[in-house]
Amino acid sequence: MRLSGLALLVAVGFHVMTGPAIAQTFVFGAQGEPVQLDPAVITDGISSRITRQIFDGLVRYRGSTTEVEPALAEKWEVSRDGRVWTFELRHNVKFHDGTPLDAAAVVWNFERWWKSNHAQHENQVKAGQTFEYWEAQFGGFDDKSIVSKVEAVGSHTVRITLKDPQAPFLANLAMFVFDVASPKAVEKWGLEFGKHPVGTGAFQFVEWKPNQEVILEANPGYWGVKPRVKRVVVRNIKDNSQRLGALKAGEIHGMEGLNPDDVAVVKSDPSLQLLLRPTNTTGYIAFNYKVKEFQDKRVRQAFAHAINKKAIVDALYGGTGLVATQFQPPSLWGYNRELKDFEYGPARARELLRQAGFAQGLSEITGEDGKKEPLIFWYMSRSRPYFPNPKEIAEAMAADLAKAGITTQLQTTEWAVYLDKRKNGQLPLYMLGWTGDNGDPDNFLCYFFCQPGAAREGFYANTALADLLLRAQKLTIQAERARLYRQAEQMLHDDVGRLFIANNQPPLALSKRAKGHVPHPTGSEYFNTVEVQ
Amino acid sequence: MRRYAVQRSLTVIPVLLGVSVLVFSFIHLIPGDPALTMLGERATPEKVAEVRAHLGLDRPLWQQYGIYVGKVVRGDLGVSIVRGDPVLTDLLRRFPATVELATAAIVLAIALGIPIGVASAVWRNSIVDSLARLWALTGVSMPIFWLGLMLAWFFGVKLRVLPTGFRLGTGTAFAPWTNFVILDAALQGNWPVLADALRHLVLPALALATIPLAIIARMTRASLLEVLSREYIRTAEAKGLSQTAVVLRHALWNALLPVLTVVGLQVGQLLAGAILTETIFSWPGIGLWVYESIEARDYAIVQGASLFIAAIVVVVNLATDLLYALVDPRIKYD
Repeated sequence: MRLSGLALLVAVGFHVMTGPAIAQTFVFGAQGEPVQLDPAVITDGISSRITRQIFDGLVRYRGSTTEVEPALAEKWEVSRDGRVWTFELRHNVKFHDGTPLDAAAVVWNFERWWKSNHAQHENQVKAGQTFEYWEAQFGGFDDKSIVSKVEAVGSHTVRITLKDPQAPFLANLAMFVFDVASPKAVEKWGLEFGKHPVGTGAFQFVEWKPNQEVILEANPGYWGVKPRVKRVVVRNIKDNSQRLGALKAGEIHGMEGLNPDDVAVVKSDPSLQLLLRPTNTTGYIAFNYKVKEFQDKRVRQAFAHAINKKAIVDALYGGTGLVATQFQPPSLWGYNRELKDFEYGPARARELLRQAGFAQGLSEITGEDGKKEPLIFWYMSRSRPYFPNPKEIAEAMAADLAKAGITTQLQTTEWAVYLDKRKNGQLPLYMLGWTGDNGDPDNFLCYFFCQPGAAREGFYANTALADLLLRAQKLTIQAERARLYRQAEQMLHDDVGRLFIANNQPPLALSKRAKGHVPHPTGSEYFNTVEVQ
Repeated sequence: MRRYAVQRSLTVIPVLLGVSVLVFSFIHLIPGDPALTMLGERATPEKVAEVRAHLGLDRPLWQQYGIYVGKVVRGDLGVSIVRGDPVLTDLLRRFPATVELATAAIVLAIALGIPIGVASAVWRNSIVDSLARLWALTGVSMPIFWLGLMLAWFFGVKLRVLPTGFRLGTGTAFAPWTNFVILDAALQGNWPVLADALRHLVLPALALATIPLAIIARMTRASLLEVLSREYIRTAEAKGLSQTAVVLRHALWNALLPVLTVVGLQVGQLLAGAILTETIFSWPGIGLWVYESIEARDYAIVQGASLFIAAIVVVVNLATDLLYALVDPRIKYD
């Protein structure tokens, strides 16, 4: 004890003299402070990046794809009707507190997420926390959930019975929220578990210094790829420029949250490397179908031909954007590669407008009550990965529309008001987007198009599309589902239901000394493959 | 004096009440439903209603205010909406970092600002004076975040002699007693940590000191010039005293009174500046915490911290007023 204290002192002294470079430690610069480290109740990327190192789920995403591969469950079977899933757990896996990972522990976790009267569920809800993703992905709690039974049928066999088949079931289970926690530790710490996380992951929790850093240590008994560094430190550096400064100064080895303008800086720095996360996010423009003019497909087509997406992506995404042709980003397996996008052509747009009866152009719209008003194009007041510079992007689109004879007035409002107006169907024409949760096409398409005529979606009512998506939700064979999702994208395209503008690939900057970091579309990457030279 | 002290102290009450009304109104002044803002794109109507009830936003305004003040008086600043931790506990844990930074900054500002002001006044209209004045003007107009970034870039990235941020190096094992890291390290005799902490303090303190330094220098110069034109100074000079003695022994002490007022007022400025400085330098004090909480719409923290900061400013200004009498025996309050 004494000796290690001394060694530490020497190490610290050495550090003071030589500057910040420490071998064996991977330091990652995060954009902020984690909320807490209990994966079941968090929803944010900053926290989940840390919990992903500490915990494992039954299954996980493979490499940088959203395909599912075994994790704590070595293999699984699903019944013919798609309702009964049987998972065989890996043997000899232990939580960091020494307790074994077995079927009982997994069942305990499911019951905690699922049952509102579970002591470790109830206490969280009372403290204002919710098991939000369980509710969203599995239909609710208790009897409302699609899950009807979770049982241990052997020491290492778990059987989950669903009321109805759920196609994205495995993809859901691969999400960070369904990582398995040590029941003993959760019971010991209760509400404080989020400050003392215990899982089976490649790294174990050491310390959380508020507003500064979280320190993790390699788990020597890890069942998977053994960590290549002894420690991981996740530092909280709020300011984007400052974080890049710390990276350039060698104080951290990797970071996320680059300003679009700094992408070029990283590319030109010989000591740094730029990695792009496969895109998982799509920005769109939505029409309000209560507007009479937008009910004419030719008008919507005119919009689609008027906007020069490529120019916008090239100029305003710092080189990390992609032109979107459909709602799903290309990283999803339901993506339709055959789909042919609308070509940019202001002349074609003018022609379509003329055919629709707007030879003089379009600058006014007609509401349900027949009242005319100027066409207002609403843009977001807040930057999002899919629209990193919303104002500039909106200005570029408005200029494109003007070239085709469509005159819009740009307007924005506070983010909460914006979302509220959008929810109530009060925006005639607006921009927004979506970032995927679980890599399943259902997560992109169904949320938006399974309820035809919803105010939230600008009253867009495409019943055939909704039926198709609901059918796809019940199938379990991925190839069959993929076919339906490709068809859905084509239907959406043919109807010009909405304009899909761009996907973005959020950039990561790493020191060239850090190797083996695999970027993932969901943003929660594992650090056990990372090496620091 | 005692009567004045009591009267002056009582004026603090309406000020704090006013502040509490303002701070309480934050949540209602910002457009949009706070519950919806917090939940974002994925909000469902049920969730929004749940959060509104949880925050007490469904009650009448006056009730909400009453409940709020009642709690504050009992030392309950509520719990963080995002993390669920008590605001007061977090506040007290982070406060030492801000005090450490602000103290370093004000000491730096005084230690450099007064000599610069004196030199500027004594060698009035010389090259020294021009440089000092130019520098003071630049300092006052300098945006702190820009200066902070430049300092970090130059000393941290380019020269690599000082860290670009933080209070201690990565993964430093150190168990503070009071959270005043410098004090704790010194008390524990942990010299490497002390050295590391001081290295980390230099740049943020310099950034935060810039504006008060410039103001103090300007104020010292103006005030000293004014005093130097007084008749008793001429008398002192006529008696054949050296210029050093005249300036330092006779003029400076009297010139410092307005400077003291300025220093007192700077405390408020320092705390405001700390929000930017701490954010730029990842300094884990109240400023960074407030910044993060504003971003996360954690109203409980923003309210609690604002109230706390306002209370500090009020108390410091009170203390400054009362200090006058001690510094200047001519001032008698009755």
